[in-house]
Amino acid sequence: MGDSHVLVRVPKLLVYRSDALPGLQRAPSLAVFPGTRTELIEVVRALAAAAVPFVARGAGTGLSGGALADGITLLGLHRLKRIIAIDPLARTATVEPGVVNALLTRAAAPHGLHYAPDPSSQSACTIGGNIAENAGGPHCLKYGVTLDHVLRATVVLPDGEVLTLDRGDVGGYDLLGAFVGSEGCFGVVVDVTVRLTPDPESVVTLLADFTSVRWAAEATSRIVAAGILPAALELMDQATIEAVESSVYAAGYPRDAAAVLLAEVDGAAAGLDADAEAIERLCRASGARDVRVARDPAERARLWQGRKKAFGAMGRVAPHLVVQDAVVPRSRLAEVLDDIAAIGARHGLRICNVFHAGDGNLHPNIPYDANDADESARVHAAMKEIMTRCIAAGGTITGEHGVGLDKLPYMEQLFTADTLDAMCSLRDVFDPARRANPGKTVPVRACREWHAAAAARPQAAGT
Amino acid sequence: MTPLASGVVGPRTLHAEFPRTTDELATLVRDARAARAGLRLAGLGTWLTAGHPVRAARTVSLRAMHGIVSYHPADLTLSCGAGTTLAELDEATRPHGQWCPLAPPGTDLTSTVGATVATASEGPYAAALGRPRSLVLGLECVDGTGRIIAAGGRVVKNVAGFDLTRAMTGAWGTLGAITAVHLRLRARPVVDETWAIRLPSSDRSALEAYVRGPLAPLACVRHQPPNGESGDPSLFLVRLGGNAAFVEASRAALRALGETMPQPPDALDAWRAFDDPPARALSWRWDPIAVRLRDRFDPDRILNPGLLGEPA
Ligand SMILES: Cc1cc2nc3c(=O)[nH]c(=O)nc-3n(C[C@H](O)[C@H](O)[C@H](O)COP(=O)(O)OP(=O)(O)OC[C@H]3O[C@@H](n4cnc5c(N)ncnc54)[C@H](O)[C@@H]3O)c2cc1C
Ligand SMILES: Cc1cc2nc3c(=O)[nH]c(=O)nc-3n(C[C@H](O)[C@H](O)[C@H](O)COP(=O)(O)OP(=O)(O)OC[C@H]3O[C@@H](n4cnc5c(N)ncnc54)[C@H](O)[C@@H]3O)c2cc1C
Repeated sequence: MGDSHVLVRVPKLLVYRSDALPGLQRAPSLAVFPGTRTELIEVVRALAAAAVPFVARGAGTGLSGGALADGITLLGLHRLKRIIAIDPLARTATVEPGVVNALLTRAAAPHGLHYAPDPSSQSACTIGGNIAENAGGPHCLKYGVTLDHVLRATVVLPDGEVLTLDRGDVGGYDLLGAFVGSEGCFGVVVDVTVRLTPDPESVVTLLADFTSVRWAAEATSRIVAAGILPAALELMDQATIEAVESSVYAAGYPRDAAAVLLAEVDGAAAGLDADAEAIERLCRASGARDVRVARDPAERARLWQGRKKAFGAMGRVAPHLVVQDAVVPRSRLAEVLDDIAAIGARHGLRICNVFHAGDGNLHPNIPYDANDADESARVHAAMKEIMTRCIAAGGTITGEHGVGLDKLPYMEQLFTADTLDAMCSLRDVFDPARRANPGKTVPVRACREWHAAAAARPQAAGT
Repeated sequence: MTPLASGVVGPRTLHAEFPRTTDELATLVRDARAARAGLRLAGLGTWLTAGHPVRAARTVSLRAMHGIVSYHPADLTLSCGAGTTLAELDEATRPHGQWCPLAPPGTDLTSTVGATVATASEGPYAAALGRPRSLVLGLECVDGTGRIIAAGGRVVKNVAGFDLTRAMTGAWGTLGAITAVHLRLRARPVVDETWAIRLPSSDRSALEAYVRGPLAPLACVRHQPPNGESGDPSLFLVRLGGNAAFVEASRAALRALGETMPQPPDALDAWRAFDDPPARALSWRWDPIAVRLRDRFDPDRILNPGLLGEPA
């Protein structure tokens, strides 16, 4: 593999001490960057032979601390970036895990196809990381999350076994369904075949402008309940609009709006205008001040740039940014957003909301200074209250960013002991020795059998 | 504890027990495990022979765990007991202009939603409106060790923890007996019409291109005559749905392919009732990882023993 692809010196390893979640830092003891499929498998086998735990890493854009290696081996996959094949007739692509999401879409473009899951980090994040997190994105409202687009994957299990997983459609368990979203705890993706989606015949993008966040949330709920399935339905509140408009990503959002709703419908040209008109009507009926339709692709791109770069724009406000990722039933968005605002005010924090409203997938963002202990403590307390509120509303603690290290404490609030134990059983199917991404996603104490087994053995494998 | 209700299930009149709560079922499974005796799981018992014979003396039907537990039309989500029939779901959601588009072939809508999820049975709307694997947001089940598992959630997006919902869906009750499901619903199309079309030749490529294209219908299936005859291979049933302008364009595209004839709204329901059951479970793959999965959730082979022809 070459010395340059193995790092052992501390300063170089420090580069990998965090992902995109601020405040959490762990440095690996060793970092390895295989360049080919064969090298990847050999490295995993060598780690297995030595019973060494490891963490796979794609682009490190994760927002839950999932890719951190705490004194263990980091397996970097960004060199595995080959697009192995594109089959325009079957509408599939087979790629290595390190392929950057947006580059796959670019490669499919000449065939009139694209890769539909589009996390806002798509210009950097990798397909392997997307599979591990079951990533979503603005257009997942209509097109579905990563899981809905993955057809087959070759994976190497932590013990070195290489397997092909599929959805079990022709007689078998849905092993791929179990693997997608397993946050690097089940094994490493070696290659994957994904579905490509035809580019829509036509697209209409609208921006609705509201003087109350509550009204924007209500419009969201009405649009979905009316049976319109927009390609995207994204909400940005005043604090987010302000951050975007003050940045180089200024999109022309109305600065005095309390919230804007970015809605998009796409598909066959026939019937699209009727859907767009219905969205406009429902927004106005919910109290929208104005609804604007993008006149041309340039205006459309500008409206989207503001949304996709919103996190970046907030980066200017303070040195650090935490992004929360909870889901609530759509019909409860308005009340939960009110409560989030109250929680922010109580802790003296500025909470910006920019999120996938059509899915009820909230992203409260708090710009802050992680080096300010007092402010960090307040951020932490507010986040906890927000999560508790979302769970109480019948929601969940993560819609797309994963549990990682960050959300471990909430798992026991959300799931019973038996259910967590069953999750550990599922993990055991793939990684009984728990050497892949140890200590993440499901609290270790939840695994009853593992506990008993570990106690019986003088030394658990790899620790 | 009060005795479980019992009675008869399925066309072959199997004597079955009908637990009414998840706890009752869990007790039953734990007792069976202690006695090392297998349990055959059933909903309505219409498709119990689709795989290998089950080696179990006792039959447990989930039919008594039925009824809608919660339904939020504004969120297009619904939770119900596993024994709820697809017809019951249809009846509850129709007044709100919504539906659960699971419509597996073989029965009218009397099949249970638990069995439909357990077998991942899909019908003609799967491609357009979602397969069981994407319509199920979460579920509750009792695994072969007697654990009560509440997997997934009730919201449309959720990645908290490892995905037990996907593992259970399509596992044929060999990992867990499903007691409740949380479903995502779809809005019924504003305009909804069904056509029969006769293709001018045996070449289906134009029809396939239409089905894969932007004007894709809700469903497209080959017409089956009701008496089990082979029928006319160039005759298809096509259901169109969407807003008025879309359906108009889609209908025009369909007409360009061949002679079309209007059908009653339930034409596709009638089609479903006459399909032969495929023996899907016969070709089950027992690779080492599949065996491991079974071992972890049902080590003593209590649930549906033998159904998938598993290695002893
Ligand atoms: C500005 C910004 C916007 C974002 N927007 C979205 C969004 O809209 N939707 C969304 O879902 N997420 C979003 N994210 C989060 C993040 O981009 C996703 O979670 C992404 O999928 C992570 O990919 P990555 O390649 O960076 O993975 P990493 O961060 O490197 O790793 C994430 C996890 O995946 C595992 N992993 C990585 N590669 C593999 C592999 N080949 N095999 C097995 N496991 C592997 C790691 O072990 C780790 O647990 C955003 C992040 C940022 C910074
Ligand atoms: C004539 C005929 C043709 C069919 N053709 C097709 C077809 O072409 N394609 C297709 O996909 N399906 C087909 N089916 C399947 C069928 O329509 C569905 O599976 C239906 O949902 C069965 O409902 P049921 O309640 O009668 O299930 P049952 O017959 O009671 O059970 C079916 C299977 O699911 C298991 N099961 C039942 N309930 C549960 C539960 N709660 N938890 C765990 N496991 C459970 C049972 O052990 C059994 O193995 C056909 C069925 C028939 C009778």
